[in-house]
Amino acid sequence: MTLSTEVQSPAPKADKPPLSTKKRPANGMIRAQRRAAWILMGPALLNISLFLGLPLILAFALSFTDYGFFAAPKFIGIDNYLELFADSDFHVSVVNTIVYTLMVVPLAMALALIVALALNMPIRARSTFRVMFYIPVVTATVSVATVWLWILNPNVGLANEILGLFGMPPSRWLDSPDTSLPSLAMIGIWQGLGAKMVIYLAALQGVNPVLVEAARLDGANKWQIFWNVTWPSLGPAHFFVFVTSIIGSFQVFDLVYVTTQGGPANSTRVLVYDVYQNAFSGLHLGYASAESVFMFILIAVFIAAGLRLQRSKSDDN
Amino acid sequence: MKRRSRSISAIAAIGAIALAITGCSGSDGGGAAAPSEDPADMTGTLRVLIPSFPASNEGTAAWDAVVATFNEEYPGVTVEPDFATFGNLNEKISTSLAGGKPYDILVTGVGWVPPFASQGAYLDLEQFGVTDKSLSEDAVPAIVPAVTYEGAVYAYPLIMGAKPMAYSRAAFEAAGLDPDSPPSTLAELTAAAEKLTVQDDSGKITRAGFDFWAAASNYRQAYVSVLGALGRDLYEDGEPGFDGAEGAEALDWMSDMINVSKVEEFGQKSASGAPLLLTGEAAIGFTGGYIDCAAVTQELCDDLEFFNLEDSDQAMFSGGQVASIGAGSKLADAAWGFIQALATPEAVASMSELNFAVPAASGAGDSEIVQSNPASAFVYDNLQFVVFEGGAANWLDLRDSFNTELDKALLGQGSSADILKGLAEKSK
Repeated sequence: MTLSTEVQSPAPKADKPPLSTKKRPANGMIRAQRRAAWILMGPALLNISLFLGLPLILAFALSFTDYGFFAAPKFIGIDNYLELFADSDFHVSVVNTIVYTLMVVPLAMALALIVALALNMPIRARSTFRVMFYIPVVTATVSVATVWLWILNPNVGLANEILGLFGMPPSRWLDSPDTSLPSLAMIGIWQGLGAKMVIYLAALQGVNPVLVEAARLDGANKWQIFWNVTWPSLGPAHFFVFVTSIIGSFQVFDLVYVTTQGGPANSTRVLVYDVYQNAFSGLHLGYASAESVFMFILIAVFIAAGLRLQRSKSDDN
Repeated sequence: MKRRSRSISAIAAIGAIALAITGCSGSDGGGAAAPSEDPADMTGTLRVLIPSFPASNEGTAAWDAVVATFNEEYPGVTVEPDFATFGNLNEKISTSLAGGKPYDILVTGVGWVPPFASQGAYLDLEQFGVTDKSLSEDAVPAIVPAVTYEGAVYAYPLIMGAKPMAYSRAAFEAAGLDPDSPPSTLAELTAAAEKLTVQDDSGKITRAGFDFWAAASNYRQAYVSVLGALGRDLYEDGEPGFDGAEGAEALDWMSDMINVSKVEEFGQKSASGAPLLLTGEAAIGFTGGYIDCAAVTQELCDDLEFFNLEDSDQAMFSGGQVASIGAGSKLADAAWGFIQALATPEAVASMSELNFAVPAASGAGDSEIVQSNPASAFVYDNLQFVVFEGGAANWLDLRDSFNTELDKALLGQGSSADILKGLAEKSK
């Protein structure tokens, strides 16, 4: 089966004069549209500038100070950044955050796609299933975490009872440094599945049925249709889910705050929790700002890597 | 880390702009009353940060009674409460300072006093006639050093939340131990706990021989108790008291109880978070300083015997809720008036009941709240043996590190001596 999406276009004529790059003055209607666009964007721009842009600039500026709430900030150059290299808690947090992200993002994306594919089929009670998978997304993390605390209680929790039914030994779950981070990742995957599923579901419904039908007529089996038609069509959805999942995983905080407080023995200490501890427990806002800037850069690097991967795949296709 | 002390005016300017934009610049949160003004003429708003009154009908009623008492003397002063928890106290304090709306009154734990006093965030209470000498007469003497920093008193004690030890007489009898002759030294406690531990066929502990009443990452207070029983305080005159032989011995003992004697799992806790002793899941252990016998059954209350952890010294851990006046308060006299309203016997009794604590006032031993249950009666009679956590000016920074590092020792990720040495280094 060959499915060529290449479009043959005529070669440009060599003797054709180059198009003028000079901007032509916009006519009245375009000017009015531009004005309307700015007016409509105004409230959002103001909101973003005040509540995202300004704090971002302030955090960057504070990262070069020793601000600790009690006195005016004093400039200390890059000392906070140098201190990051010697801070073992920070190192542990970075590693834990990356490990958590690597556990959560691929697994959650794969599971969400599988669930979306299943719920895109004409099965009974499809809407009910969709709602059930989405419920964790709209449930407060504090409530979710509290219920999971009970489920994962090593002595009286449901999880060990289930393991016992299969003759498996009980686990210490969140109380053991070996299982605490995977346990948190499990909760994170469960909680974020619904949001990813909805995006994939929307993307699946946008797959061109003509292409699917053409593939079927060409004799492609289900896997071939999925791999050659559906999967490439989901490219933008993959990228969106990937970026938002990475950002969400790097920013995991409330789950850790409610369940483990970074323990035991720092095994679930993640970056945002470390930032929080330094800012509000240690009262070192300057240092915490430096950590935040580092985190910002780290997320940007991960997203850039994802973007590059996406582009290279698109080029391959 | 060496830090340069050159201010950056640009940062200050950005900060000022930000504060101005968010409408928080320079708000004092109160009126402009002069200190000598007649209380009846004083006007303004007192901002109170307080974790003592939970969001329940009982908590609200108790709070309203305190405010009513205060308003009898200060009718023109409005009280604006911020009912925090100990979990978010620092968050509230730091954001109030950053937002330019500091609190007039801050009710915190004793561990907050040296860090905040050293930063000049609290008023010295001497201007209201409170000195360490006067306080030793008004309050339980043991708490006076905990609210004193460099000779000055920065907080007024309200209640003390102790964690006494107790054991089940029935469990002792069932295990062939004499309930009238409880274990005293740490070694005796280990031996008794081993005998009292019950496991099922799979090795799962169904009744802990000893309960630290600590979840994972929360062994700090239990450690302070054991350290106290070995004759040392966590900090002594601001210097670490835990980095000697006693510190390591205390941590080794705790680690052995979990990993060698296996009298309790690491981080073992009841479903409700209550002490395992009160849920019937332990035979000896830490418990709270107030037990509602009606809730846990009178039979259980009667079965419990309280005792102090004792090796070279007797020791009982205690936290405390203490009230301070913010250094930036423009209504300092009214703030002191409010602290006096909080410290009335009625208010303190309500707070004690709501917080499983006992009054910190001297002469409260015969009060109804203390005599209402065996735990409170025992605690109040033994307040001379209390040990506190904190005591270092950077305690708020260290508290979290203690939890993490103690976990490492208890999980066998490092030797007790090395871990405590590292914490002592951090203390500097």
